[in-house]
Amino acid sequence: MKVNGRRNSKNVFLGSMLTLLLAFLATAAPVAFAQPPAQASDGEALFKEKGCNACHTIGGGDLVGPDLQGVTERQDQAWLKQWILAPDQVLASGDPIAAELLKKYNNVPMPNLSLTPDQVDSLLAYLGGGATTGGAGAELPAGDATSGKAYFVGDKRFKNGGTQCMSCHSVAGIGALGGGNLGPDLTTSGFVQSSAAFASFMSAPSTQTMGAVWANTPLTPQEQADLYAFLSKASVQKREPSALLQIALLAIVGAAALIALANFYWGKRLRGVRKPMVERALAMKAKK
Amino acid sequence: MDIRAHVSMVFHLDKCIGCHTCSVACKNIWTDRKGTEYMWWNNVETKPGTGYPTQWEDQEKYKGGWEREEDGKIHLRLHDRAKGLSNIFYNPALPTIDDYYEPWTYDYENLFNAPEGDDQPTARAVSMITGKPMDNIEAGPNWDDDLGGSPVYAANDVNLDKLTEEEREQLAEIERVVFFYLPRICNHCLNPGCVAACPAGAIYKRGEDGIVLISQEKCRAWRMCISGCPYKKTYFNWSSGKSEKCILCFPRLESGQPPACFHSCVGRIRYLGVLLYDADMIEKSASVSDEELVAAQREMIMDPFDPEIIAAAKKNKISDAMIAAAQNSPVYKFVKKWQIALPLHAEFRTLPMLYYVPPMLPILAKTKDGTYDIEGLNQEGLPAMLSSLEKARMPIKYMASLFSAGNVKEVEAVYRKLIAVRIFKRAQKVKDYQQAEVTEALTQGQTNPDEVEAIFRLTSLPTYEERFVVPPLGRESAVEAWENPLERKTEAGFGVRNKIAKRKF
Repeated sequence: MKVNGRRNSKNVFLGSMLTLLLAFLATAAPVAFAQPPAQASDGEALFKEKGCNACHTIGGGDLVGPDLQGVTERQDQAWLKQWILAPDQVLASGDPIAAELLKKYNNVPMPNLSLTPDQVDSLLAYLGGGATTGGAGAELPAGDATSGKAYFVGDKRFKNGGTQCMSCHSVAGIGALGGGNLGPDLTTSGFVQSSAAFASFMSAPSTQTMGAVWANTPLTPQEQADLYAFLSKASVQKREPSALLQIALLAIVGAAALIALANFYWGKRLRGVRKPMVERALAMKAKK
Repeated sequence: MDIRAHVSMVFHLDKCIGCHTCSVACKNIWTDRKGTEYMWWNNVETKPGTGYPTQWEDQEKYKGGWEREEDGKIHLRLHDRAKGLSNIFYNPALPTIDDYYEPWTYDYENLFNAPEGDDQPTARAVSMITGKPMDNIEAGPNWDDDLGGSPVYAANDVNLDKLTEEEREQLAEIERVVFFYLPRICNHCLNPGCVAACPAGAIYKRGEDGIVLISQEKCRAWRMCISGCPYKKTYFNWSSGKSEKCILCFPRLESGQPPACFHSCVGRIRYLGVLLYDADMIEKSASVSDEELVAAQREMIMDPFDPEIIAAAKKNKISDAMIAAAQNSPVYKFVKKWQIALPLHAEFRTLPMLYYVPPMLPILAKTKDGTYDIEGLNQEGLPAMLSSLEKARMPIKYMASLFSAGNVKEVEAVYRKLIAVRIFKRAQKVKDYQQAEVTEALTQGQTNPDEVEAIFRLTSLPTYEERFVVPPLGRESAVEAWENPLERKTEAGFGVRNKIAKRKF
C-alpha cells in the first residue's frame, strides 16, 4: 500500500505540472503572437475602465492628481511609459520627477493599475491625441460633519450597504484607538483637498482595494458630502501629539487590567510542596 | 447486572522488605527512555513518610480523585466542565519536578578518563535535566527510605493528621520509632480520576481485563490526568510530549507472564488474579459515605462459583478460561473470601483494584529500668497477642487512614483475623499458647481452623502458580473483532502502521 501510494503521488505531481504548463501557454499565447498597433480609441476606453478619470482630467484642471493635458509634451515619453506601467517601482527607485510630483499632490501616490505595455501605448496615444474630458465634477452639496463621522465609524449605515470607512482606515478624531490598518491613515489625506477631487475619486475609486470594495456599493452624493465635511474638518486633518500619549496610556492600563484579571483567575497554582515543607520543618527545628 | 473481568492485585505488606527490586525491574523495562528519567511507575515508600511525589496523599494540594457532595453525588475534585475548559491551557494543580525529584546519573567516564593526579578520580552526580553537575542533591524518589521518625519526612505524613498530638509525639520517640513499606503501582481503578479528567479522551480501560492505558496517539499533553489521579501514577514524558503510566506489563500478561515487578519481587508479596465485578454498581459504590466505602467496594466483587454470576459473565462474552482464572484467583480469596486485603485510600473514590494486606507491626515494647519490657504479658509470661492490637506501635487510626477511609472497624477486623492466624499457628508449632486462648482468637477473628490454614498456606508457602493466576487474555483473537490480522499479509512488510507524531527536542 505504501509503495502504491508513492507511485500515485508521483503521477499526480507530473499531471499537475503538465496542466500548469498548458495553462501558461494558453494565457501567454495571445500576448506573444497577436500585437495590434496602439489605438487612441482603445486608450479612451481604458482611461475610463481603469479609473484614470477618478483622479485625472484632461484639460479640466487638477483633481487628486494633475491635469493630463499636454502631459506627453511635458514629460519624456520613455519616463511616462515606465511611470504608468509601474508607478510604485519608479517611486521606490527614488526618481526625482516622481518624488516632486508626489510632494506636489499631497503625498497621494499613483497606484499601480497592472497595465500591459500595449495598454500603456494605447493610453499614451489617447493622451497625445489632443482629446479632452470634461472639467471636474460638480461640487458636492453642503455636508454635515457629525453625520459624516457617524458614517465613518459605522454608527450610520451607507444607503447602498457599503462597509464603514473605519474597518480599513484610521483618522484623527474618532478616538485614541483609531480604525483599521488595511488602508492609509486619512489624517492629512490628500484626497480631501477639494470636494470635487474627493467626489471624483469616491464615485469610482481606481485603487485595487477601494475599487473592488466600492464597485457594487457606491456612495450617494449626500454621503460623500457628509464624509467630506467630516474628513476636511480641521480637528480631523491634524493628529494632536497628545493622542499618542492617550494610546500609550490605554495600552498600559489595558495590559495591567488583563494581567490582574488573569492573575486573579489563574493565580492559585501549586508552587511546589517539598521545598516549603522542608523549610518549615527546618525553621521549627531552629526555633527549638 | 453487568459482569466484567478485572485483572487485580494484592500486595501483602507483612512480607515487603523494602528492597526496591520491583522498582528497578520496572525502571529497566519501561522507564529508561529519554523523558522518563524521573518516572517510577512502581515505587516503594516508607510509611510514615511523605512518599513520591512529596505528600501525594494531600488532595487539598494536588486536587486528585473524587469528592462527595452533600446530596451523595460525586464529582472530580480537579474541575467541573466549565473550569476544566477555562483552565485547559493552565493546569494549576500540577506537581513540580522538585516534588518528584531531579533525576541524576553519575559521570562514570571520569573514573576511566581522568588524568593522572594525586587524588582518586570520582564520578560526580550529573543532572539528567540540565546536564550539569549536581553538587547538592536534595531529593530522590525514595529520599525518606527507612527514615521512620524523621522530623522532616515522617512527621509530615498526611495520615498522621488523624492522630492526637500525644500519639504523634510517641511515634518520634526513640525506641518507639516504627515504619513499614508501601509499594505502589497504578491501581487500575474502576472509577479512574485520570480517565475522567482527560480532555482528549486518550485514557481508557481495556474491556477484557480492566488495565488502564493512555493512548500515545490521542494524548495531547493537557496533563489533566496527572492532577486527576489521586495516587499521582500518571507521568508526563517531556521528550515525547505524552503522558505515560504503568501498563501492568500487558505485553507480558498477554504471553502468560506476571508483570515484571510481580515476577521479580524478592519477598513474594505480590499476588495477581482475576476478579469478577458488577459494573452497574460502580457509581453507587463510589458515592457511599466514607465509612461504607470499603464494604461497598467489596460488595461489587462477585462470587465466581455462583452459577447465576457465571451465566451473566458468559452473556458478557467473558471466556470460560477467564472464569476459571477468577475461580482460582488468589486476589478473590484475600479480598472477598477472607476479607483481609483492603484498598489504599478508598476515600479518593476511584475504586482501586490493587489491595493491600496491612502489616502486622511488632507489639509495643520499651526499655524500663534498663531492661527490655514488653507490656501486657499473660500468665505464662507470653505476649498477650489478643490485646496486641491495642498495643500496636502504629496507632490503628493511622492504618485506617491508609486502608479503610478512616473506618477503624474495617482495619480492626482484618487485624483480628491476622492475629488469629498467628496465634493458631504458634499454638500448633511452638505449643505454648493454651487452647482457650486459641479458640478466643479464632472467635475474635471470626474465622475457623480451615480458613486459618488456607490463609497461612497462601501467605507463607504459595507456589508461583498460586500467586500468579494469569488468565489467557485472548487479545490476539479479540483484535479480530475490528481488524483483520491478515490484512497486510504479502502487502507492506515491516513498519509502524500509524506514525506517532513526536515533538523533537
